[in-house]
Order: sequence, then structure tokens, then C-alpha cells
Amino acid sequence: MSSSAPTRRLPRLGVAMPQRLSWNSALTAAILLALIIIDLSIQPALANLTQIGLLVETAMPLVMVSVAQTLIVLVGGIDLSVGGMFVVANAVTVVWVGGGGGAHQLLIVAAFAVGIAMGTLNGLLVTGLGFQPFIATLGTWTIYNGIALTILPTDGGTPPPFLSNFMVATVFGVPTSIVMLVVVFLAWRCLRATRFGGRIYAVGADEERARLNGTSVRRVKLAVYGLAGLCAAIGGIYAAGADVSGTPTAGDAYILMSVAVVVIGGTSLRGGEGGVGVTLMGAMALTLINDIVDALNLNTWVSVAASASLLLVMVAGRTLVEAQLRQRRRR
Amino acid sequence: MKQVGSWIRGRLGVASSYALCAVLFVIGAIHSPGFASASNIRQMLVFASFVGFAALGQTLVIIAGGLDLTVPWLMAFGGIELSRLAAGGMPAVPAIALVVAIGAIIGLINGVGVTWLRIAPIVMTLAMGGLVQAFLLAVGELQSTGDQVPAVAVHLASNRVGPFPVVAIVWLGFAVAAGIVLSRSAFGRRLYAVGANDTVAWLSGVNVALIRILTYTISGAMTTFGGVVLAGYVGTTYLDIGGPYLFTSIAAVIIGGASILGGSGSYWGTVAGALTLTVLSSLLPLFQLSNAGLEIVYGVVILIGVWLASTGHRLLGRLWRRGLALPDNMQGGAGDVSA
Repeated sequence: MSSSAPTRRLPRLGVAMPQRLSWNSALTAAILLALIIIDLSIQPALANLTQIGLLVETAMPLVMVSVAQTLIVLVGGIDLSVGGMFVVANAVTVVWVGGGGGAHQLLIVAAFAVGIAMGTLNGLLVTGLGFQPFIATLGTWTIYNGIALTILPTDGGTPPPFLSNFMVATVFGVPTSIVMLVVVFLAWRCLRATRFGGRIYAVGADEERARLNGTSVRRVKLAVYGLAGLCAAIGGIYAAGADVSGTPTAGDAYILMSVAVVVIGGTSLRGGEGGVGVTLMGAMALTLINDIVDALNLNTWVSVAASASLLLVMVAGRTLVEAQLRQRRRR
Repeated sequence: MKQVGSWIRGRLGVASSYALCAVLFVIGAIHSPGFASASNIRQMLVFASFVGFAALGQTLVIIAGGLDLTVPWLMAFGGIELSRLAAGGMPAVPAIALVVAIGAIIGLINGVGVTWLRIAPIVMTLAMGGLVQAFLLAVGELQSTGDQVPAVAVHLASNRVGPFPVVAIVWLGFAVAAGIVLSRSAFGRRLYAVGANDTVAWLSGVNVALIRILTYTISGAMTTFGGVVLAGYVGTTYLDIGGPYLFTSIAAVIIGGASILGGSGSYWGTVAGALTLTVLSSLLPLFQLSNAGLEIVYGVVILIGVWLASTGHRLLGRLWRRGLALPDNMQGGAGDVSA
């Protein structure tokens, strides 16, 4: 009797979420579509796989950092150290000095490992020592920035050649940046379908209920923080490849931008709602705004103002839609 | 004696912040004699006051359960807009008043967005920060920059009354006022109530929205004032002048023993946090640390400081009390322990 109650409640949660999510996704998709149409009407030459590939390439570091942020936000946290993990991976990738040969591919593996390690450290501070996510990552943010500066004191370095080759390569005529965007999305859909994916949402929606249902909240969070570290690291590695050099101070700009992207996409900062799919759309939307402003030869302030306004409009719009839905449900 | 003990115990979080600051200061004084000199202490007080101004509003906002990310842009706004107004022929004192008032209005908009539109504080203040940044960029891109900072701001930042810098005295005044308001006034009590549980506060008749809006308004005004003083000290203005203060204003509040979830904290704690951060950043270069090492130690000390102020002081307090209680018991007086 008593054991049937929680199992009966679970499906209701599962049904309610996709409905709200679809509102969010539709809104984000509509904004993205509008921006795509505007951009295409300003510069028709963009309707070309190579050009789109270049656009996605500029977006990719932000995309990966935002994916990391999304994962953390989904379990009810926030990560200020994504920028730090980004630059450490970025620095590790470019410390190969060229010439000597050797197994420089290993640098990428090292950058992956370092990313996972840093994310796991955040997770340990949060789950083990009981730090608030905001504060734990506030501390590790400067620590990771310092580590990046230790590895690479100034801008420069060279990424392994195969990474630069990867940037310009194509798969059946499709630039690798687009392929990667699709792979990230598919990987997320696969993860979402697994039991672990379900647990991420369960923990984010209601930690106590997840615990009562037998989920190890700590283990899920730890895994999510580690995974987020990996994603932020991939962003840093990608940026090193795209710029063909490293920048140990580039991370800070991405921190608050990634939060903005997550919110524009439609993932709730309360956790348990949203996902990586909408974040990808949000990141592309911000990138398109910059592209449009560049194409029109407008000043930088226009793109900053437009990004901030988009953030406000999306959040305010969503609050209105949610209030409407709540009213309809009450009726 | 007992009263003093309980008074300290109630403030162990704040006390541990001051202790951390004192330990760092002593390390500096031992390592290099010039560290404890009057001129260096004055210098550190001035630097700490910039953090203190930005962190005053942040303290109120965080106690009420919010967060203000507009800080760096409002710091920059304070200096840039003041210089612009002064270059346009406005007398300095009204110009400062006007700039601070605009800062308050920006804070007010933050508060309205957070309370009435129910936008998450992080998002609302991030977006407002973006809009202020866009305005400053527009000023820089559309008009000539390099306006002079008015002399009044420069005097405010660099003059002294006897041995004390003017800014430090002003900061002390604000700290005393904030301390009294937080612990003695109805506003203070309501503020903690809102942060601890806004539903309960609302049910007991507190105007939750008004309290929240006030905290953001004060934060906007104080941060902009901090920007004015900072510009006066530096002598010029630039867009990134407020950059470090987002991090330090939040870190000072947290090291001072406030919970990021709201409902606890005090401005005197934040003062300790601001002093700790300032002593730390002038201490680390003495050890020939590179910029990189400095950042790493900075982050570690912040985590330790937060840990001390939140959970660590309770642990240390328990150990300390156990140490005191043991001889007491052996002397046969169990009364004090059970009480």
C-alpha cells in the first residue's frame, strides 16, 4: 500500500514536464528561426554549407560551455568555474611546442581528463563538503584561472596539427563543426534516454523525492559535475583548435554568457526543467545576433544591448506564458 | 563572563572572519616590516573601502535572498557618467548626486523585475548589467572619451583627515549605519525575515516586494557611489574598471558569514570579508608569487574563509568548548556544562 504511492506519482511528473518543455522549445525555436531569416535576408551568401560551418565554428566554444552550464543547472546548481575549466583545457591543448613529434594526440586526452578532474572537484566540494554550488565554483573559478596561467602564462602556443586539420575537414561535404553540433545533440538525446538521464531530472526537480525513490543524489550530482567539466574542457580544446593558439584569460567572458544562454534556451534555474537541446538553440541565437550586428556594420554596443534585451524578453515572455498556463489549469 | 561567551558564540561566524583577516595581517607583518606601516595600512583601507561600498548593497540583497550582478557595470558607470556630466559643465557635487540617483533607479528597476515580473535575480541583474554595459560602450563609441574625473571625487578618494583617509571614515560611517539598521530597525528585522522565508514573512504582514526592491535600490546607489570614489582614486575611467568587484563584492559578503540562500549575514561580517580580501591581495605579491599563483591561493583562501564562516566555525567551536568543558567537569562543577 505505502510502497505504491510514490510509484504512482512518478508518471505524473513525466507527463507534466514535456508539455511545459514544448512551450519553451517552441518559443526558443521561433526566436532562432526569426534570427536565421533576418540573417539570411541581410546576407544571402550565408545559405551555403561552408559559411554555416564557419558560423557554427565561432559558436562552438560558447555552445560547449553552455552545455556544461545546462547540466549543472538541471541538477539545481550553477557553475561559475566553467570559464576556468575552459581555459585550463585550452592551455593544456596548446602546450605542445611543435617539431619534436611524439604522441601529441595525448594532449587532447590529457585535456579531457583534466576537465573531468576539475568538474569532479567541484562536485566533491558541493556534495562532500556541503558548499553551495555558487560559492564552491566561485572559489574554484579563480583557482582554475590560476592553473591555466601557470600552464600558459601568455597568449600563444600551438595546438596539435590534427586538431587544426579537424577544424577545416569535412564529412561527406559537411563541415566538422556542424557534425559536432549534431553529435552533441544526439549524445544528449541518448543520455536523456538512459536511466542516468532520468535521474538528472529527478534530482533537479525534487532532491528529496529522488532520494526517497532510491536515487543516490550525491552520486548523480558528482557524475553531472564531472560531465560538465568534460564539456567545458571540450569547449576549451575546440577554441584552441579554432584560434590555432591558446588564450589563458579567455574564460571569464563565457561564464555569465553561458548562464544567459541557458536561460534564453528555456532551462529553469530552479533545476529539473529544460535540457541541452534548447541550450543549443539559445547559443546559436546569441551567435546570430552578433553575426547580424557585424553584417550591418553596427557598433558593439548594439549587439550587447540586443543580447541583454533578448534575455529579458525571453524570461518575461516565459513568465507570462507560465502564468497563462497556470490560470488555464486552474479553470 | 558567561554573557560574553554567548555573545561571542552568537557571532563566531563574523569573529572567524576577523580572525582570518588578523592571521593574514600578522603573516604579512612578520614577513616584511613595511607591511604594518601606517602608509600601507592606509592604502589597504582605501582599497578595502571600494570593495566595502560595492558589497554594502550586495549584503542587503543577499540577506534578502537575492544576488546583484550589475556591480561591475555600475562601478564603471559611476566614474564614466560623472566625468561625462562634469565635462558637460555640471558642478561636481550635483553631478555626483545625479549619478548616484541614476544608479539607484537602475537598482530599482532590478528590484521591480525580480519582485513584480518574478525574474530570477541572477537573470534580471545580468540583463540590466548588459544594458548598462551597452550604454557605456555606446558612450565610448559615439563620443570622445578621456573626460577628466572632477576634483571633488579625487579629493574624496585621496585626502586625509589627520592620519585617516577620508574614504575610510566615510566607509566607517556607512558601516555603523548599516550595522544599526540591520540589527536595530524594523527594516532590518523584516529583511532577515524575507530572506529566511518570504512566504512566512508575507503571511505575517511584511511587504516582501517593497523590502526586496529597497535592497536592490540601495545596492544600485552604493555601487555607483563606489564607482565615483574608485574613479577619483584611479584618476581616469575605463569600461573594465569595475571588473574585479563582481567577484570581490560577493566573496566579501560570503566570507563575512552570510548564506547565499539568504536570511543571515551582517555588514560587519562583510567588512571583515572586504578587509580579508584586501590584505590577502596585498600580501600575496610579497611572497614573489606570480599572477597565476596569486589567483590559486586567492581561491583557496576564499573557500577556507567561507568554510570557516559557515560550517567550520561550528566545528572549531565544538572542539574549543570540549577543551574548556573537560577541566570544568574534572573539578566537579557539572552545572555550567548542562546549562
